[in-house]
Amino acid sequence: MTDIPPDTTGAPAPPEHEEERRALPEDDGEPRLRRAEDELRARFAEELEESEEAQERVGVSREAIVELEHISLAFDRPILEDVSLVARRGETIVIAGESGTGKSTTLKLILRLLRPDSGRVIVDGEVLNDVTYEEALVIRQKMGMVFQGAALFDSMSVFENVAFPLREHTTLSEDEIEARVREKLEFVDLEPDRVMDQLPAELSGGMKKRVGIARGMAVNPAIMLYDEPTSGLDPLTTGTITRLIMKLQRELKVTSVVVSHDIRSAFRMATKIALLAEKKIVFFGSPEDMTASQDRYVQDFLGGV
Amino acid sequence: MRVLAVQEYFGLAAKAIRFIFARPFYIGDVVQQMDSIGVESLGIVLLTGFFTGMVLALQTSVQMAQFGATMYIGRLVTASMVRELGPVLAAILVAGRVGSGIAAQIGSMRVTEQIDALNTLGVDPIKKLVVPRLVAALIMMPVLTILSDTVGIGGGNVIATAYVGIPTGLYWRTVWEQIASGGFILHYIPSDFVQGLTKPFVFGGIIAVTGCYFGINTKGGTEGVGNATTRTVVVASVMILIVDYFLTQVLLFLFG
Repeated sequence: MTDIPPDTTGAPAPPEHEEERRALPEDDGEPRLRRAEDELRARFAEELEESEEAQERVGVSREAIVELEHISLAFDRPILEDVSLVARRGETIVIAGESGTGKSTTLKLILRLLRPDSGRVIVDGEVLNDVTYEEALVIRQKMGMVFQGAALFDSMSVFENVAFPLREHTTLSEDEIEARVREKLEFVDLEPDRVMDQLPAELSGGMKKRVGIARGMAVNPAIMLYDEPTSGLDPLTTGTITRLIMKLQRELKVTSVVVSHDIRSAFRMATKIALLAEKKIVFFGSPEDMTASQDRYVQDFLGGV
Repeated sequence: MRVLAVQEYFGLAAKAIRFIFARPFYIGDVVQQMDSIGVESLGIVLLTGFFTGMVLALQTSVQMAQFGATMYIGRLVTASMVRELGPVLAAILVAGRVGSGIAAQIGSMRVTEQIDALNTLGVDPIKKLVVPRLVAALIMMPVLTILSDTVGIGGGNVIATAYVGIPTGLYWRTVWEQIASGGFILHYIPSDFVQGLTKPFVFGGIIAVTGCYFGINTKGGTEGVGNATTRTVVVASVMILIVDYFLTQVLLFLFG
């Protein structure tokens, strides 16, 4: 992001400036692709202008930390086409959309479990397209991932699960590790003494998710990624998990990217919502703007709320 | 198996072997796997080894009786157990018991996204899951084979003494004669032992890599896990028997 003047990433640009930037792509003869931030601003200018002032009040930084630029990806069929997305430091972005629209794929791209056919993925200033598998392992330590089914290691106790990333990547002593595990379990509202020795199979769905969050945040990553954090949970547990994700954003200023089709909790926690449909982003903006949107598809999608 | 799968299989094997010597070392996992691959297989391997030795002695006693050469039962049982039956039988049993277990465990980790979780936590699943199993199998398979051979020859002793009336002392002398007749490497190491222990080392590698390969490539939920275990047992067993033939050719060429 260094080559972009600071004012273009922050407060809304004046209209003439906007015109200037749109003209940029032609400047060296070849039509150049816009940076993700500009692309979104060009397409969803109105929605973004209003929400940004509100966001700065809750502590969202102007600095982009996760960027997807013009991503296209196809397996046996196209999954994503020219998708751009930006998450700023401290933001909670919810990627919503129907099943099978490539929502989870975006998370895998951010983690570099997948590579895009074209376009760039940038996490905390590093372009993931060019990194090797070993380098990717290191970069992934900046991110905590919470899986749909929690994906706890079922041969390890809750304690061992949360301690796992600490043992792998830190030189903390056993006492420090235990203190950290207790702290994280308390953060997710679990009683350490009650659950630490239990095996994942002995936990309820909601508790597994919470342990998953504790494990994801164990090394204090700057970015948390959630894959359908509330799917398959009862309404009360859904509320608990949603509150937790908000608590992480509020207290630890963690950037969150949440993939969810649960639009109700998305509205509660998101600073911005990206709506994926037909391999593209059809809406990007704050929850309020989403409600106000006149777009037919957006309205249909919100129909259930 | 498709050509690509064969390439992936050997790619995994090569990577795992390379990672044996690369940090981090998961010593705890290796010990745990040595326990589940080796110690927990001990009972079944000893039981089958003992009965194989007995049936070998029984069959040879009938055949040898025709030539009045029953005193050579020990030699025949030893030759068969040390060079062939010990390694191959133990390996096939371990392929069934351990190979399937490896595939089931890693396969269910795959379908419940635990392998992805390892990746996202910045840990290479091959280092964490495949290498400890491979190392444990490479160490424990020869150990199991030595024990299986010993118990098998012991089983032969029981039959030779009880049915044919060969004194135990004579039996064990013929056993030693057989081992010595194969010649020695570096003056002290019986050539039969080298041959008999090279095989289980290779078979251990086959079992671990096959189980891990099918486990990691599991697709399609619990049914996929079932398929992975079945394939592991079939592929590993067939590979053991085929590799055994070619390995025997090579070993006979090298050591006679």
